[in-house]
Amino acid sequence: MIAAAWICLFSPLASATLITLLGTRVPRKATGYIATFSVLVSFVAALTTFFLLLGDSPEERSHPSTLWTWLTAGDFQVGLDILVDPLSVLMMLIVSGVGFLIVGYSIGYMDGSDEERRFFAYMSLFVFSMLLLVQAGDLLLLLAGWGLVGLCSYFLIGYDQHRPAAIAAAKKAFIMNAFGDATMALALFILIQRVGTLQYGAVFEDVDQIGGWAMTLIALGLLGGAVAKSAQIPLHTWLPDAMEGPTPVSALIHAATMVTAGVYMLVRLNPIFEQAASVQDIAAGIGALTLLMAGLIALVQTDIKRVIAYSTMSQIGYMFLAAGIASYSNAMFHLMTHAFFKALLFLAAGIIIHSLLAEQDMRRMGGLRKLLPKTYTATLIGALALTGIPPFAGFFSKDPIIASALDAGLYGQILWVAGIVGAFLTALYTFRMIFIVFWGEPSAYVREHFHAPKRDETHVWMAWTVGALAVLSTVGGWIQVPGLWHPLTTWLEPVAEPLVEPSGLQDLVTSVVAVAVAAIGIYLAWAMYAVGRIRVPDMPALQRLLEHKFYWDEAYDLAFYRPAVLIAQAFFRFIERPLIAGSIQGLTTGARVISGRTGEAQTGLLRTYVLALGAGAAVLALVFLAVRG
Amino acid sequence: MGPDVSWYIVLSAFLFTIGAMGVLLRRSPLIVLLSLEIMLNSANLALIGFARHLGQTDGQVFALAVMAVAASEVVVGLGLIVALHRSDVSLDVDKLTTLRG
Amino acid sequence: MGDALVWLIWFVAALGCLGSGIAVISFSNPFYSAIALIGNLASLAVLYLLLSAEFLAAAQVLVYAGAVMVMFLFVIAYIGRDADAPFVGGPSWQAIAAVIAAGAILVDVVVAIGLKAGGRLSDEADIGGAFGGPADVGQVFLTDHLLAFEITSIVLLVAAVGGVILGSEARKRAAAQ
Repeated sequence: MIAAAWICLFSPLASATLITLLGTRVPRKATGYIATFSVLVSFVAALTTFFLLLGDSPEERSHPSTLWTWLTAGDFQVGLDILVDPLSVLMMLIVSGVGFLIVGYSIGYMDGSDEERRFFAYMSLFVFSMLLLVQAGDLLLLLAGWGLVGLCSYFLIGYDQHRPAAIAAAKKAFIMNAFGDATMALALFILIQRVGTLQYGAVFEDVDQIGGWAMTLIALGLLGGAVAKSAQIPLHTWLPDAMEGPTPVSALIHAATMVTAGVYMLVRLNPIFEQAASVQDIAAGIGALTLLMAGLIALVQTDIKRVIAYSTMSQIGYMFLAAGIASYSNAMFHLMTHAFFKALLFLAAGIIIHSLLAEQDMRRMGGLRKLLPKTYTATLIGALALTGIPPFAGFFSKDPIIASALDAGLYGQILWVAGIVGAFLTALYTFRMIFIVFWGEPSAYVREHFHAPKRDETHVWMAWTVGALAVLSTVGGWIQVPGLWHPLTTWLEPVAEPLVEPSGLQDLVTSVVAVAVAAIGIYLAWAMYAVGRIRVPDMPALQRLLEHKFYWDEAYDLAFYRPAVLIAQAFFRFIERPLIAGSIQGLTTGARVISGRTGEAQTGLLRTYVLALGAGAAVLALVFLAVRG
Repeated sequence: MGPDVSWYIVLSAFLFTIGAMGVLLRRSPLIVLLSLEIMLNSANLALIGFARHLGQTDGQVFALAVMAVAASEVVVGLGLIVALHRSDVSLDVDKLTTLRG
Repeated sequence: MGDALVWLIWFVAALGCLGSGIAVISFSNPFYSAIALIGNLASLAVLYLLLSAEFLAAAQVLVYAGAVMVMFLFVIAYIGRDADAPFVGGPSWQAIAAVIAAGAILVDVVVAIGLKAGGRLSDEADIGGAFGGPADVGQVFLTDHLLAFEITSIVLLVAAVGGVILGSEARKRAAAQ
């Protein structure tokens, strides 16, 4: 079992290394197959680990394993440890499974790109980093995986190296994530000082002894990292910009896996957060705020990928809400189903974008229902799953989250309202997208530029991976039906026991209300965008507010960017040029002057040299005489 | 029993000084070489004097080696002077400044 | 009688050395300087004999006076007279510095010897009759200092080759003109 876990972890790293070393010696397509195969190996290994873990009794399902000791500092030791337990195995399956489908899709999507090898090397490296993150057995390795996924995200967002927008977006993502990394590191420092170790088991045992402001700080620092990585308020502005990367990247990193790492951390470190209940409440509040704000912004987006990006932000808000009220299994369940249908939406959008020669503006699309029927079906399935319509996956995962909020006191009831409003918004913006893109008559642009996807062997990958995700989005929710059977909660219980349990009535009421508001939202979208029966409301101020994404970017620009530029300019004028450059220049000028003057001793005349010899000998002789005599 | 070794050493010192003066003060490289020979011989004298004083033949052996090396050096030096003369370079030590840096 | 004779011979040889040395550096005609050097070498050979270095005295006359000086005279004859002033034009700072440096060395040695190097110069060693003979020198050279012997032979070889090269280059350059 442990061996299978290590194979799962290192297989993508091996493929990344192999692709890098082989360089241009292999054809470009081969790297795609190498990468996909390695992730498939990971998935098989994860499955093996899962089945072997099933063989253990629930209390015993926790197997740490250390490969070697990485660093030792006094009493503090940390090594390359992984932990095989229900939560990590669940994440391994999701990451490697969905990752396999997306990397396979990329074989078709990236065909024709000039630098496929770099892409697949980075994708493999990313899968390795994400697996490292979820399999880590101590907090330091978690942080290491955290930073590595951020790095791979930077590489992949900026994949199109010659586009300034892509480079800027990559930098923005990396810098905001670095902020989160910093708060996490600070939290780890306090934790080391108080507990003396970073291994999960030991930390969880001793965490109730910390207490007080130190506990709150630790939890806040970790929450900061989660907020940055999962693009929640206030560190969310990098996610829409990250859509500059290729669509498979958006699917894998910015929908299915990396951005959900924050949720994973909240669930994994639940003993720490439960000790700092106020921080958990903050997390739930952030989740609620984000899901509302993102839903509102998605209503006015014109770029198809950005709609899906804000939708991701919103859905992760739901997961944060769930983790914040300690409904951990629901958070993880929604993470899983969200991976399925969000990846489905992104990959289907990728097919659309490909067919329109890289056009992503929805206003130029329309009527694609007849031109891309299968893609329409797939996107529709994804949309229904996202909106929470039974029997698709989202219904089974989202509604329990909202219902659980009812069991969390007055604050929980406010969260319940936010969740319901969010469901309405989700339906509205999702079906707005569907109706604008697929319904109606093909627009002029579409008529000019549409070309159907090729049917060669690489593009077959795109077709069947999307199909597989569509199937998963349909049946994936049936794993856990509230009130009937809940194997997922039972599976995760040893690691993350939920603290809230909605009653059967609360579940029923919530589901009915949620589906009802979703249906209203779909109807409104149909009325506004499909048949034009209701005019889209004209509120210019609100429209502007939403289009500027609530002015977050402008605020950050004023608060951070401009002062930084001013400070940098001041440093340059007053310190860098006169002091540092000046001193280095002074050194070189001085060296040149000295060497010039010294060079004048080389007269080339025999006489001078002999004189120097003689003078030196005389001095030596005198010294010798003085010392000896 | 004749002068003891210190007389020879003092004589060697005088000869060395005379040779050094010649090297430093003459302009013709030929004369410089000749003065160099005087210096080498003065060193030989000192070596042989000490060899006699200590009763060890090693000093004489060293003086023999010096003689051989001096002869080789004269060969090369004279060869250089002849080559200079053939290239119509002025045979004046003060004017030979190709190695100026 | 024998003692006085030794002293007399020593003084004559010493004066010969010094005089010829000064002559070498004073004459403006290089030919005269070379002849003076031959005289210097001969006086030194006499001094070597006084120091029981018979083999070296003979080698001095053979190698130096016989071979090296002949080479010098050949070159002087080939180059012809190049009359130059005996000393650098006027006392420049280099000349003054040179005089001072040489003088310093001289003073140092004299003082050192004058102080008799802490009394270590007083006892002469006893030597046998074979001291300084060719057998004695040869044995020490070829056993204790074999490395020096070999290296010296290589130096001589290099000098010979260098001389040939210098000569052939000069010939090529002369032919090119």
